[in-house]
Order: sequence, then C-alpha cells, then structure tokens
Amino acid sequence: MAASPDLAGLLARIALGDRSSFRRLYDATAPSLLGVALRILRDRSRAEDVVQEAFVSVWSRAASYREGAGAPITWLTAIVRNRALDALRSESRHPADSLTDDEDAMQDIEDERPNPLGLLTQAADALAIRACLETIDGSQRQCLALAYYHGLSHSEMAAHLGSPIGSVKVWLRRGLEKIRRCLERAK
Amino acid sequence: MNYERPELLDRLAAEYVFGTMNGRVRRRYERLRARSPAADAAATAWEARTGALAQSVPPVAPSPGLWSAIDRRTGGSGVDDAPAAVRSAIGWWTWALPLTGLVLGVLGTVAFVRLAPDALVPIDQVVQARGTLPESYVGLLTDSTGAATILASSTRHGRTLSIKVLRPIDVPAGKVLELWALPRGGEPFPLGVVPREGKDSVEMADTSEKLLSNVPRLAVSIEDGPSKPGDAPEGFILTGHCVKLW
Repeated sequence: MAASPDLAGLLARIALGDRSSFRRLYDATAPSLLGVALRILRDRSRAEDVVQEAFVSVWSRAASYREGAGAPITWLTAIVRNRALDALRSESRHPADSLTDDEDAMQDIEDERPNPLGLLTQAADALAIRACLETIDGSQRQCLALAYYHGLSHSEMAAHLGSPIGSVKVWLRRGLEKIRRCLERAK
Repeated sequence: MNYERPELLDRLAAEYVFGTMNGRVRRRYERLRARSPAADAAATAWEARTGALAQSVPPVAPSPGLWSAIDRRTGGSGVDDAPAAVRSAIGWWTWALPLTGLVLGVLGTVAFVRLAPDALVPIDQVVQARGTLPESYVGLLTDSTGAATILASSTRHGRTLSIKVLRPIDVPAGKVLELWALPRGGEPFPLGVVPREGKDSVEMADTSEKLLSNVPRLAVSIEDGPSKPGDAPEGFILTGHCVKLW
C-alpha cells in the first residue's frame, strides 16, 4: 500500500456501485489480505478462494462498513480472517494425519517467513507496545501468536506445543486478558 | 448458558476472533452473532482491537486470475486485467457492453411477453436475459407422504426468503407455521413464519449466505406464535433439503 489510498472513501464509492473504486481497493489490499489467508490455510488456491469470496461480499456489503468496526483495512481483515477460519474448521481432517501434514506445511512456510511469535513481536513494535507484550508470559504469548496467525484451535495448539489442553486454555485466556490491555494502550 | 453476560460474551468473542474455537463452537458463535447485537458488538470490538496485528504479515501477490474471478462474479466483464488507472479510462465500455446486451435481452423478452402475456413474471425477464438463474439457496419441503408442499428460495446475498406453498397446509386456528433451519451439527433456529397457502416472503435476520451456508435441511413446525432465536421447535410436519443453486 505504497500510495495508501483513502480506503474509507473507496468503500463509500463501492457502496454506490463504482467499479473502478472496487478495483483500486483490490489493488491496495488484496496482497496483504491474501498473506493473512495464506498463513491460516497454508494452501494458495484455498486462500485465493477465501479472498475471492471476501471481495465478492465486500462488493455487496460495502455500505455496511461503519467506522466503529475499526479502520477499513481492519474491517476487511476481519472478513478475510473469519472466512479463512471457517474454511479451515470446515475441513474434515483426520486428527492423526493432520498433525504430521501441518508440521510439514508449516515448516515450509516458516523456512521463508517470520514465525508467528516473530509476527506478533513485529506488530507490537509497529504499535509501540513491545514492552507491554514482553510482560506477557512466554507460553501465553506463543498461544496468542499461534491462534491469531495460524488459526490453531485449542487442541491443535496443545499438540503443537506438546502441552495438556487444559494448560493451553488457561495460557490463552490469561494471554487474551493481557494483550487486550496492551492493545488498548496502543490506541 | 446466559450469553448476555457481558464478561462471558467478551471472552467468547476474543476466542472467536483469535480463532481458537473448534468448528462446532465457532458456528454456534456465528449464529449467536447473527441474532444478538451484543454478541456482534463484542466480536466487532475484538476485531477492531486486533486488526493491527495482521499488518505484520508479509503481503503475497495474488495470481492474475483472482481479480478476473472477482470481477466476473460481481457483474464485470472478468476479462480485463489492466491496472486500475487504465481500467477506469475504459471502464465505461466494460460495463456498457454487457448492459447493452442485457437491455437488448430484456427488450426481446418484453416483445415475447407482449405476444404471449402471462407466460412470464418480471424476474424471468432478467433470468432470460442473463441466461442463468441467479446464485440462490433453494429448499423444497415435503410432507410425511413425500408430497412437495413448500418451495423456499432466496438469492445468495439477499435477506428475503420467498415462500411458495404448493399445496395448502392444515393449521389449527390460532397457530402458525414456523420455518426452521437445521444447521449441520447445530440446534435448529427459526427463519420466520410461512403462510398456509399462496405466496409470501420472509425477511430474514441476515443474508442467506450468512444463515444458510451451513444448513443442509429445512423444516416446518406448528407453533403457538412466531418463534424467537433460542426457542426449540415442536415436532416437524414438513422437512426437506436446502441446496445451493450454483
């Protein structure tokens, strides 16, 4: 988003059916939205499907964007993340198979991209809440990052970390309370 | 569980937004979100709070076909991959040409309708011009003998469910017919009251896509009055499949 167009203005024009604004919104946001979907789904064609569905829904729902939903990119990210998580959860995967498959697939991504904890730290740097983030216990931080960037469920997280699911749930709940305070400080 | 307790809703919303819920719990929260403004507000607040976290994810260039697919599905030509600046210069033509086709198609159909009145209703003119039915959800409900009784249909992103009663339904005085969605792996939720004969339309709480994408079956029960979200249905007198027409 080098030129950083006025996304709220584009959404307002899209609500009136302006196709060229729709294309500009796509050019400005599709790469970052695809990045988000791809990290969750780890499959390019499924991630592109999710981004496609999201933009088709934005074309008809642009009028429903409200500033209370955060910045336009936040609203768009929420649409894409929700669809990506829905798609991820709708897979009927055999748990035993999925563990090994997931490890391999994530390894591929991690070879060339920052790991989830790295992404969380970078985001905290950008929001100037790094110090606050670092007061959160390591395993809690790890859970937050695995959930947000990779869409791992409680049980997947427990398998990934080799920890009991009960501990994972507690870490995550405490982590969510703490990161909420950090994020509110960022505003 | 009392979902209206703010701290519980907030915790559920956080887990929903972070993505840790399994599929079943996630779908339950989505249904709750569709009908409860408080649940929707809690989730929206977490989405707003966490949106900036996604900004550290490296962008990935989409393949060229992605825009074409989006363009086609939103009524564009689907063939133009030119950058926005070029496209806006020729944008007029890209929608004017299909529009011309549509207008000619409608005019042709209107001429046909004038020659054969009553053969078609207005929606058919549009369908005729486009050559395909719009993306829709369609349900056909049958009674215990297997006789087709109610046809329900709604466009994919619409909120209006059109109901056509194919054979009159016997309902005791003072009772209503309630239409239910039976989601995969979830509790039935009410869609609205349907007529005992003729045609009517039901205004749904959200779009078909939101409400029905995970609903393989529909059913009708006889109730004392319109049902609210969270109510449980009496026995079903009609049931049927709900399918995606695309």
